[in-house]
Amino acid sequence: MKILIADDSRVMRQIVIRTLRQAGYDDHDIVEAEDGADALAKVSSEQPDLVLSDWNMPNMTGIECLQAMRASGSVVPFGFVTSEGSPEMREKAADAGALFLIAKPFTEDTFKEHLDGVIA
Amino acid sequence: MTTTDTGARRRSGDVRPVITDLIDAATVEAIAAEAWVALVGEDEVLVPLPGELPVDIVSSWVDVVGPWTGSVVLTTARSTAEELSRALLRDTAPAVLDDEDVADAFGEIANVVGGNVKAALPGPSALSLPQVGNAPLVRNPADVCRLDLLWRGEPVAISVQGALPPLPGTTPTRKNEVS
Repeated sequence: MKILIADDSRVMRQIVIRTLRQAGYDDHDIVEAEDGADALAKVSSEQPDLVLSDWNMPNMTGIECLQAMRASGSVVPFGFVTSEGSPEMREKAADAGALFLIAKPFTEDTFKEHLDGVIA
Repeated sequence: MTTTDTGARRRSGDVRPVITDLIDAATVEAIAAEAWVALVGEDEVLVPLPGELPVDIVSSWVDVVGPWTGSVVLTTARSTAEELSRALLRDTAPAVLDDEDVADAFGEIANVVGGNVKAALPGPSALSLPQVGNAPLVRNPADVCRLDLLWRGEPVAISVQGALPPLPGTTPTRKNEVS
């Protein structure tokens, strides 16, 4: 399957990719996006099967990207990987249609816990 | 009936929490330790011992805006920030790190520490994107929670510091804030 990783930090995108591999999800195509607007464009052009997105990004935030996706009819599974894991943020994420929110810092076990059943 | 203005109501209306009312150093240290293990490496520890920062330092920080407004600031030697960046990038680190790589990696550590500090504070609050450069000034010495730590023997300071100056009529330390 194809996984779109959206984060304005190149280093964090690398860490997410590394953690996916450590968690055993190492046989998937990875597409990177550097902000929410880039992610939204690549949801159309790349047709990913899953989006893993940061929340705070320039140009378009992760939640704005998710809202725009859902408004356009996209039902691609979407999860946040963000440094903001407060109950308030989790509620906002769920209300917007996110499947899960993984708070940074995370481990491969956190990834397994949230992604088993989502990634085939 | 006459009343005496004790100033109590005025003072109570002026009450603004300082960071030490909201979070303690042990919590910030635990947040930083968890970030270090997850981002920098499983065996990487922060030792709570002060070290002397050199002249050539760099800071990364995020701003928190809400019931408490301020910044979560990491400061270390430029060379230590580069070493941290290499640790985060691991085998994807280029032979020569450019400033952008260091700003990205060191900023992301501030983002993760700051995001978790924000989650421990009363909300709702907003978190800024990370910035890297010269640290914001300490505006109110009473509104600071500072940790001095060592990573691989090199000093790393973490300062959770308010963005606002002391209120008029308040003294610099909370201990002396009684009427």
